[in-house]
Amino acid sequence: MRKTTFAGVVSTFVVCYVFWILLTWSLDSQELIYGAVVSLAVALFSSRFFIHEKASWFFNPVKLINGIVFWLFIFPVELIKANVDVAKRCFTGCKNVNPGIVKIPVDLKSMYGQAALANAITLTPGTITMEITEEEGQTYYYVHWIDARLPGGQEAGEAIKGRLERGLRRVWE
Amino acid sequence: MTMTILRIIIDLLIAVGVIFALAGTIGVMKMPDTFCRMQASTCITTLGVLGVGLGALLYTIFVMGSAATAVKVCVICGLVLVTNPVGAHAIAKGAYQAGIRPRKKMEIEDYRRDFNE
Repeated sequence: MRKTTFAGVVSTFVVCYVFWILLTWSLDSQELIYGAVVSLAVALFSSRFFIHEKASWFFNPVKLINGIVFWLFIFPVELIKANVDVAKRCFTGCKNVNPGIVKIPVDLKSMYGQAALANAITLTPGTITMEITEEEGQTYYYVHWIDARLPGGQEAGEAIKGRLERGLRRVWE
Repeated sequence: MTMTILRIIIDLLIAVGVIFALAGTIGVMKMPDTFCRMQASTCITTLGVLGVGLGALLYTIFVMGSAATAVKVCVICGLVLVTNPVGAHAIAKGAYQAGIRPRKKMEIEDYRRDFNE
């Protein structure tokens, strides 16, 4: 188990407190004090599960802006394209599917980046990440792909996650 | 006048969400095997939820005028988007390990080669 670090507690506290203020939506002093106490308790107990790597990542403005650009502009475009594609297959009788499980190499090093990429792949309809493995220093994803027109490897990886990975690399590396 | 245009935009967003949810539902009913059905269901949880959520967000901000409700709509959308892929990983992996195989022959079978046989 990981140690509870000061930076981890602080960053967890800030995230919890921002969420508390957003959810209560009042700047009453009583609410603010309650929120601080509860957030501090939660941060003390849960920061070691929540923070795995550099705790201050969230406060680096360049990466924060890159992350916002990714989740607000790059990812939704991919999402809409994939959604339209799968919806078309559904409305035309679900016959033209070509499912397969492919193995694609991933170059992201950070654990957060790998998790975010796996979740982004799963969120785009038509691809579901099933497993992450590591062989000889290279990370591989097993992806169930509804339109497996390529036999895995670099080209299939480019078709599945090319833009997503380039966007995420700017955020986490 | 602006109100009418706003209502039309909100209704369009909700209609888009409902259309994608319908596509996902048809897919869940008619796709050939478990994994493809899961793929179709992702349509519902992404653009289905996002379309309806975006419409609801505009409605709460401009028609209801309540910021607290708008934040709660955002939190609902965010939580659906964050928790859905985690469940999808677990269900897909569990289905595979429980012995469910695609009914049609898979085109490419890396996973079976590396993990089972």
